[in-house]
Amino acid sequence: MLDALAPDKLDWSTAGHLAAKVRAGHLSALDIAEATLARIRNCDPLLNSFTAVTEQRALDRARALDEARASGKPFGPLAGVPFAVKNLFDIAGLPTLAGSKINREDEPAIRDATLIERLEFAGAVLVGALNMGEYAYDFTGENIHYGPSRNPHDLKRMTGGSSGGSGGAVAGGLVPLALGSDTNGSIRVPSSCCGIFGLKPTYGRLSRARSFPFVASLDHVGPMAQTVEDLALAYDAMQGFDPDDPACVNRTAQPIGPLLKRGAAGLRIAVAGGYFKPRTAEALQAIDRVAVALGVNRDIDIPQAERARSAAFLITASEGASLHLGRLRGRAGDYDPAVRDRLIAGAMAPASLVVKAHKFRRWYREEVFKLFDDIDAILAPATPCVAPLIGQQTFMFGDQELPVRANLGIYTQPISFIGLPVVAVPVPLSPLPIAVQIIAAPWREDIALRVAYTLEADGIVAAPRPTI
Amino acid sequence: MKRKPLRKSKPRHAKATGKSRSRPPARISGSRPDRIDRLVEVSAQALGIPLDPGWREGIAFNLRLILRHAKLVDEFPLPDHTDPASVFYA
Repeated sequence: MLDALAPDKLDWSTAGHLAAKVRAGHLSALDIAEATLARIRNCDPLLNSFTAVTEQRALDRARALDEARASGKPFGPLAGVPFAVKNLFDIAGLPTLAGSKINREDEPAIRDATLIERLEFAGAVLVGALNMGEYAYDFTGENIHYGPSRNPHDLKRMTGGSSGGSGGAVAGGLVPLALGSDTNGSIRVPSSCCGIFGLKPTYGRLSRARSFPFVASLDHVGPMAQTVEDLALAYDAMQGFDPDDPACVNRTAQPIGPLLKRGAAGLRIAVAGGYFKPRTAEALQAIDRVAVALGVNRDIDIPQAERARSAAFLITASEGASLHLGRLRGRAGDYDPAVRDRLIAGAMAPASLVVKAHKFRRWYREEVFKLFDDIDAILAPATPCVAPLIGQQTFMFGDQELPVRANLGIYTQPISFIGLPVVAVPVPLSPLPIAVQIIAAPWREDIALRVAYTLEADGIVAAPRPTI
Repeated sequence: MKRKPLRKSKPRHAKATGKSRSRPPARISGSRPDRIDRLVEVSAQALGIPLDPGWREGIAFNLRLILRHAKLVDEFPLPDHTDPASVFYA
């Protein structure tokens, strides 16, 4: 293990464990904040997860929590838990970079993103903003302006993206909890590459208010953590309608924490076949291990999944380009060249076909929803391979050589395309982990999390501690 | 459908090719570079996006990729009454 990642008294403590210690009076929020900030100072030069550390804010917040505790005020479920957010979430007082050079010149945000407010209301302590692929158009975690986030399991490898800093910070034990965003796979891909748990909820479940957009009709936000219980703690703290996000659906919160231990017995689970059939040994091994553990002996075909992926690709290119058109006219030279070329090409996509992609989405949604008449959850690979090397341009997918940047999300895109909830669960293969997606029907995050919790309790999936 | 018997396998890692990051991979076979290159030029003018000559190869590569995906979408027959799901609610 790297010296800088050596354990200390708080290293690799889960959010649930830390909050319990604080509630019991065995640790103060200030103890935790100071240890976390020290660990970030020691380790982040290696991992490059953070683009800003909100040290003073974290210390002030921790002191306030301890004072509240001393005066007998009740503590929230995330009392004293440090967390960090992908730098597309607004943090009051900082410009919202969204991984870009251009946004450095923006005025500082005047208010935190809704999800930060909700986590802090539950007692959590924000410690900083995390590196990401520029404007979230990325599956690698590389960034030409701020340097690549590095994978704690092998510093020469990608974290996956675009929530790369979130993946690296959680997998490296810098924070037990981080927020990411997922348009086509940007929570699930880094969760797979870094070997942690990630939740992409149903489209419209969690508020995106005051986060920098990418593709409005596909953007999701969610938590990344070292355990399923921590995902559930964060998810429960963040649920609830928010009129500041036009896509956020007005539904009653459905807390999952009390349901986690119900197990997976009786749930009808199938493995996605066809398009989702693994073409690398590691993805095959991961899906088989999970399927065997759950006693799954059934495959299903998700109809037209390849076409769904293409439609998501087309909509992403077009909507992303539309968002950036003004900047592309005036400041194209300030983008990462890899992102710039994709965005400019996206601006040239034929509108008639983009509309057709949206129509196809309607058709596909209805067909896939029918599958959930007979099943409760679907298993599919999260990434086609383990974390590629930083700078690697292509990977082998069966006998095809595919570009990394566009294709690490080949299995995630057809799922987020119709907003289904997914938990990415890490299978701790050696030497590198890789994740499996547990996909449920809309608004049934509870089912995906129950399956994930069962697998974790049985030791089939786990976030491995980094050893090098 | 019954799941097939599980296969034993060893992890195999993705292949590193060592190609430069900024250089796009080779052209998609069967594309028509002359037309796409002209489309890039004309579209950029119409959209008011100034192009550095060094960007054109990368943009053309990505446009070919987008059009390949668009073709797959276009080939799928849909009823006239299918509404777009441009604002999507699960």
